[in-house]
Parts: sequence; structure tokens; C-alpha cells
Amino acid sequence: MRRTLTPEEWTEVSQRIQDPALTLAQRAALRLRLFLERETISRDMAERIPARRTLEAFPDIYAPGEKERLTAGRYVHEQGRVCNISSDWDGVLRNGLLPRRAVCTPESAQCIDATLAYADRYCDADLSRALREGAQTFPEALKALRILHFCLWASNVYHNTLGRFDQYMLPYYRADVEAGRLSEDEALSWIEELFLSFNRDSDLYQGMQQGDNGQSLMLGGCDSEGDCAVNELTWLCLTASMNNRRIDPKINIRVNKSTPPELFVRCTELTRLGLGFPQYSNDDVVIPGLIDLGYSLKDARDYTVAACWEFIIPGVAMDIPNIGAVSLAGAVDSAIRMKLIESPDYETLFQSVCAELRRRADELESSIQPLWIEPAPFQSVLMADPTHDVSEGARYNNYGIHGTGLASAVDQLAAVRRVVFENQTYTARAFLGALANQFECAPELKSLLRSDTPKLGRDPECESVADTLLDAFANAWEGRRNERNGVFRPGTGSAMYYLWHASELGALADGHMPGEPLSANFSPSLLLSDAGPLSVVRTFARPGVRRVINGGPLTLELSDTVFRNDDALAKTAQLVRMFILLGGHQMQLNAVSRQALLDAQTKPDQYRQLIVRVWGWSGHFVQLDKSYQDQIIQRTGYTL
Amino acid sequence: MTGLVFDIEEFAVFDGPGIRTVVFLKGCPLRCAWCHNPEGLSPRPSRVKTIALCVECGTCRAVCPSPGGCTACGACVPVCPKNCLRIAGQSMMPQDVAARVLPNRALLEMAGGGVTFSGGEPLLQADFVIELTRALSTVHLCMETSGYAPEDVFTRAVDCMDLVIMDIKLADTREHRRWTGVGNELIKRNLEALKQSGKPFWIRIPMIPGVTDGEQNMRETAEFLRSARHLQKVELLRYNKAAGAKYAGLDMVYAPTFSEKEPPQTLVDIFKEANIPCAVL
Ligand code: SF4
Ligand code: SF4
Ligand code: SF4
Repeated sequence: MRRTLTPEEWTEVSQRIQDPALTLAQRAALRLRLFLERETISRDMAERIPARRTLEAFPDIYAPGEKERLTAGRYVHEQGRVCNISSDWDGVLRNGLLPRRAVCTPESAQCIDATLAYADRYCDADLSRALREGAQTFPEALKALRILHFCLWASNVYHNTLGRFDQYMLPYYRADVEAGRLSEDEALSWIEELFLSFNRDSDLYQGMQQGDNGQSLMLGGCDSEGDCAVNELTWLCLTASMNNRRIDPKINIRVNKSTPPELFVRCTELTRLGLGFPQYSNDDVVIPGLIDLGYSLKDARDYTVAACWEFIIPGVAMDIPNIGAVSLAGAVDSAIRMKLIESPDYETLFQSVCAELRRRADELESSIQPLWIEPAPFQSVLMADPTHDVSEGARYNNYGIHGTGLASAVDQLAAVRRVVFENQTYTARAFLGALANQFECAPELKSLLRSDTPKLGRDPECESVADTLLDAFANAWEGRRNERNGVFRPGTGSAMYYLWHASELGALADGHMPGEPLSANFSPSLLLSDAGPLSVVRTFARPGVRRVINGGPLTLELSDTVFRNDDALAKTAQLVRMFILLGGHQMQLNAVSRQALLDAQTKPDQYRQLIVRVWGWSGHFVQLDKSYQDQIIQRTGYTL
Repeated sequence: MTGLVFDIEEFAVFDGPGIRTVVFLKGCPLRCAWCHNPEGLSPRPSRVKTIALCVECGTCRAVCPSPGGCTACGACVPVCPKNCLRIAGQSMMPQDVAARVLPNRALLEMAGGGVTFSGGEPLLQADFVIELTRALSTVHLCMETSGYAPEDVFTRAVDCMDLVIMDIKLADTREHRRWTGVGNELIKRNLEALKQSGKPFWIRIPMIPGVTDGEQNMRETAEFLRSARHLQKVELLRYNKAAGAKYAGLDMVYAPTFSEKEPPQTLVDIFKEANIPCAVL
């Protein structure tokens, strides 16, 4: 059913879209119309949920060389397009597109017309009306959501998230159930079909790796009053995801200290399937953290996640939650190399770390402006305020900054404090000499650092180091404003930066060797082979995360055996709940068998189905680059 | 005093009530044909290799002072470029173990769990275990034992526990000797002592296809347990097909003489008929 444009079509379409007389916004609107007009309506008669992408590729809005010219001297984030935000699904489904058409830009109106024309080709009167005037029933809302989300992809924005699905769908569900139009079983089968539809064409929406497509969906949490918002759909969605066993949509769940323990159990059953989700976010930490950053209480209570884990407010935020990353491990390493000799004590050295973090913040801040983002007239339609192009900004225009190698940074500091300052086993000079030649002349120091110096996730003395370091990271960004008058949100995520940053590092004061991977996100060092889940949960539930609340989960790999029976599974659910009760901000649990991963490397054919969590998303293990595979295998070290 | 500990597993879900931290003590007087913890058998440290990661570079052999027979000196561990070597069996003092375990005390308590001593056979280091129970007296304590220990040692250790989990492998003495290397007379006497002790206890039976899972063995075992007032439950442990996975890494050979392929029977009803709660793990 897939097709590619013929060369003639391609040329014709390109010429029309790339017409120099058109603005970029006009081109984007025209591109969406031409795209949708050329889409084939292919519908399996058994399918109740519409839309399946058939065009594999479509011309861009720029003539050859034009983009390079336009973006010269500008900072282009990723592909230079709007991405990774969350639409106002609630408002669009409730009111339909026509009220928005009355107030939006002409380009947005063209996008609306193109979308409606496309939807009308399905000859489904309910769907057509729902898109125009708002959905009235649960099935209508689901179908309309699918069409809108599909058209969002078609409009060339990406990492299109699904937001708080169990919240915005609830009114339709309840109305139908009350009116006797819908049973719980029917609702479940509708949800399953919708969820499956996100897998129909997801192979065409590739990010960094296959699977990294941002189709994340949030469940649970609290309502605008702060009361528990777990509802019937929360449970049905978990069941649907379990029944489907597909990697899309990626399930996230908001929890807090009053979340019913049974919900953790249900979520752990989903984890057991090995899809790498759900990912948990803790309202009790995230909401106050977002308020500290300037989000209103009401908006903070409505948070969801962007593609991976970054917190974002649906409909009102044009945050760029992953605009850059600071190598925390690298900053500490630089400070040690440059300042250790002249530091009389640990505190002085730490001041140098703070200065280095500020220096790196200066550098990064000036490198990401002036920002280039292409207009996104259709995404603009789906914002709460559709009157202007979202690429120009929205209520929130904050930038997220990842911090990579936190555990290594902490362990380096703790090691230097112990070895050089406290025990004085090595002089500063000897220590730096050993680092410089990668421990060639001091193998005993290397093994001391690798296994015996304090490590975050095992040794309590690292906890205060982590707190001060997180604080220093937050301080380095506090008070800065980006060019859109937003703030910076440092966070504990790493995305793919942990691999890039690791490749820049030499030998480190925690015994890390060049070429070795760093741990992803907010997780213990890979050198810590005897990290136990309890110690990790305890030490990573840090009060300091409230100030670095961009997002970035603690990832825990547990042997698949802990999910073997109900009793054991309930204990695993309890482990997650303890992390939340202790004040952990975000967590993601994997069920893996190390043996399976090792086998999968040698016999990939037999393990085509094996799914693992990579950084913020799940993918098929055998399809990942070897470096990712190795990193994942290494982090399962403590599961056996 | 010190003991030899070969692992501390913080998050164990099959070794007693709640979330358990298990302290594995090295050395076992039995040699069960199905033992899946070969690194726990020898009462001395052992070198363990993760074979799947080894690239046969030979660096370890180049530094080995006793190529003829490994003394677990550890010299090869830090030189391996693939990080695939370790020494199982660390000498620890009770306060070392406490320092690892007690920071998580609040979590263990929250999860209705505690610490479990396992092995090997923990009673091979009974004095150390008893000292450990003192160092860890603030948490719920449990011991997993084969019951193969001098009676006075067994009773003394049982006294220090909140719960005892004891294995019964085979009721028949000759069969027991054949499959585990030792007879079960002592084990039966200790079981009687346990029944009299007033301590709550669980019984575990490994389900080894064609060896322990037969009806006769189950019935005789259930008979031993009839009217044991403080017996809380019987757990039938499914044979673990990965049991042999670690042998090669210890330069040992796993050679089960029973059929690994047949699924074991799990005759839960025999225990239920005797009014004993029974679950399969
Ligand atoms: S040094 Fe490591 S990788 Fe090399 S042969 Fe020895 S065990 Fe294998
Ligand atoms: S531990 Fe390693 S170096 Fe030491 S005797 Fe054994 S094989 Fe040789
Ligand atoms: S009693 Fe346990 S540790 Fe000892 S040989 Fe038997 S199975 Fe192995």
C-alpha cells in the first residue's frame, strides 16, 4: 500500500511548494494540502480507526540550498522544526476545528481545510462533524484524535506526543457509558485499536534510532484541583497496552503519594511484558519544581511528558526541552585537571567545579542563539491559543538542558575528596599524573578508583556530593533568560548526549577509562557492579532534583525473574512506590535477562522481538547500534 | 570475627516475606546434583569468569602466579580488559555487612521485609551468622538452610531468627545420599527440633524432575510436616533450567544425571490435603 511519488510528481510538487513567492508558512500549509491530497485512503474494512500513511517521502518546503542560506548564522535545533511539544487535544476534541479556523492565521486555516478535506474522504459523517464542531461520543473522539495526530505527522512536525489521554477522553467515555451506548469491553477494544493505529506507520517516523518517535502518552496524575485523577480510562489504557504488546504509544504514568498501590501493581504487570514502559513521574516533586520555574499552579498540575521524559504543559508550552546538554562528568574532570594542584581543600576544588559549570553554561547559552525554527501552521491550530504561529512562541518558552554523567561526576568528586584530601594516599600531582597517562603507571590507583572509592548508588557519602552538584548545576543556569524570554531548565536526562559526551572523555577520577560508556540519565555509574536496587532507589530519591526538574529518569534494570509470580511482582511494585514516597522524581523499570541480551547479540535472528528501553524510548534491541547494545548490557550488570 | 560472603543481593523477592536483602555465605557440605549456586560450594574464595564477555586475550594468564591451580589470589581480576573476572567470597566483618544492609533498613521495613541468610549453607559459618544476627537485630531476620548442621549449632542459630526457611530435598535417606552426597538423618533430627522450637518456619522442596518430584517423596515429606504447628507454608521450587549456567565460569562441570528436559510435577494437593498452605515458585 506504500508508494513513492513518481519523479514527475516529485518535481511538480516541489516546484509548487518551493515557490519563492510564498512565505515559509504558506509553503508549509500548501505542502500539507498537497501531501494529504496525494495520500491514498486505504482502509481495511475491519478497521474502525482511520488513517494509514502511504506516502513514504514528500518534498520539503525549501528549494535546494535554500535552507542552508536561510539558517546561516542561526542555531538550528535538531531539524529546525517544531517538535517535542504537546497539543491541546482536550480543547480541539471538545470544540472542533471550526472555532479555531475563525481566529487563526490564513496558513493555519488552509491546514484546517486540508485536514477536513482529507477526513471527509473517509465518508464518515460522525468523524467529519466531530472534527468540525467537536466530538460527542467516545468513538468520535478517538477517530478525530487519530486523524489530527496523523495530519500533524503529515505537516512535518515530529515527536508528536499524545498528552493526558485518560483525562481528555474521559468526558466522552463517561457520557457514552451513562447513556448506555458503550460498555467497558467495547471501550477497551476501541482503545486497543487506536493504540495499534499508532504502530501502523511508525516506521516512517524515525528519530535518532528506530523507535524514537515521541509517541508518548500520559496517564494518571492529579486534576486542576490537585485531586487524584486516576479514572476508569487509566486502567483501560494499561490493559489495552498490555493486550497489544506494541511499543507505541509509549505509556507514561503520573503518580504521587496518594496513588493507590494497586495501580503500581498494574503498571508493574505492564513492565513485565518487557516493552520498557511505563515510565513513572512523581507529581509531588515535579509540580513544585515546575512552579519554582515559573509555571502557574494550574498549568503545572496539567504536565505531561515530551517525547522521552521532559516535562511539558499541553497546549500552552513551546518549550524546547532538549536544546542542549552539559557534560557534568566533563565539567568535573576539567576542574580537577586544571585546579586540583592549587586547591588547598575540597571546598576550593568544588568552587572551581561551580565556576566550570557556569563557564559551560555561558558557552552553551551563546551557542544556541539566534534560534531558527520553521513555521508550523498546523501545530499552531492545535495549541490553546491558535492565533499565531507556535514557532514564534507560546505561554512558556523555556529551554531544557540535559546534564550527562551525573553519577560519574559525583563519583569523581568523592574519589578525589577521599584519596587526595582525606586519606592523602596520593598527592594532587601524582593523581593528575596518573590520570594523564591513563593509569598506566598506577594500575593500583585505577583499581582503587574503579571499585573501592565511594560511588553514588552504594555509598551514603556520595549523597551530599550529589546534592551540592545538582544545586551547582541549577545555580549555573538560574537567572538566565533565553532570547524568547524563557528560563532554562536543567535536568537529569541525557538523551543521546551520554554517548557523545563519553566519547570526549579520557581517563576520569572515578576510574572510568577512555572509550567506556557513561550511564544514561539519572543512574548509577556503570562501574558500580554491585549497586543494589534498594540503595539505588534510596540514594537517587534526592531532594536536589526539584531544582533540576527538566526530567530524566532513574533507570533500573531488574532481572525478569522478579516478575515471575504475583507475590514477587507486588514486591517489585512496592520498590517503585518506595522511590516515589521517598521523593524520587522519575523512574523507569526494565525487565531484562542479561543472558537474553548477550544471546541477542550473537543470534540476532532469534531475538527480533526483544524490546529494550534505550534512553527515553523503547526500541528493538537487535536494531540498535552495537554501542547502545553494549551500554545496555553493561548496565544490566547488577541484575544477576 | 570475619565470615566469607559471596554476595549480598539487596532486592530479593523469593526469600521470605516482603523485600529481602540476602546475605550469601560461602561453603556448603552438600553437593546437590542440581545446585545452581556453584560459587557458593567451596568454603574458600573462588574466581568467577563471565565467559560470554571473555575475548580470550590471555592477559589474565600472563599475570597468574599459580597457573597449575587457581588460588583465587585475585591478581588477574583488575587486569582483564573486559572486566569479566571477579572473586566470589569476600572476608567481611559483621559491621561490614551491617554497613551495606542497614542504610536500607527503612525501606526493608516499609516493604515488610528484612534480611535473609543463605548460601551455600549458612550454618557452615554459624558463629559468624549468629554474630550477624546481633549486628542486624533491628530488622526481620530469616535463614535459608539445608538443615545439615550439628544439632546444637542448628538450635542456637534458629533461636536468633525470626523465621527459618528449611529445605527438604528427599525423604528417603539412601536417595538423599545419592543426590546430595550426604544422608538426611541429621536433617530430620533438626527438622524435629525446628518443629519443637516454636519458631515460625517455611519448608522448601526443589522440584527436580524424576528425583524429588515423585508422589512418594511428596507424601513422605508431607507426613514429616503433619501437625507442625508453626509451619507457615511449603514452597515447591521449580527446577531452574539455567542451573548449570555458572559452572564453566568456575572451571567446574555441570553434569546432571536426571532429565533436565522433563517438566517437574508439582503435587501441591498433597500438602493442601494435609492442611499445609503450599505454593509453587
Ligand atoms: S583477561 Fe579477561 S578477556 Fe582476557 S582472557 Fe582473561 S578473562 Fe578473558
Ligand atoms: S585468581 Fe587469577 S591470578 Fe590468582 S591464581 Fe586464580 S587465575 Fe591465577
Ligand atoms: S544445599 Fe543448596 S547450596 Fe548446597 S549444594 Fe545443595 S543446592 Fe547447592
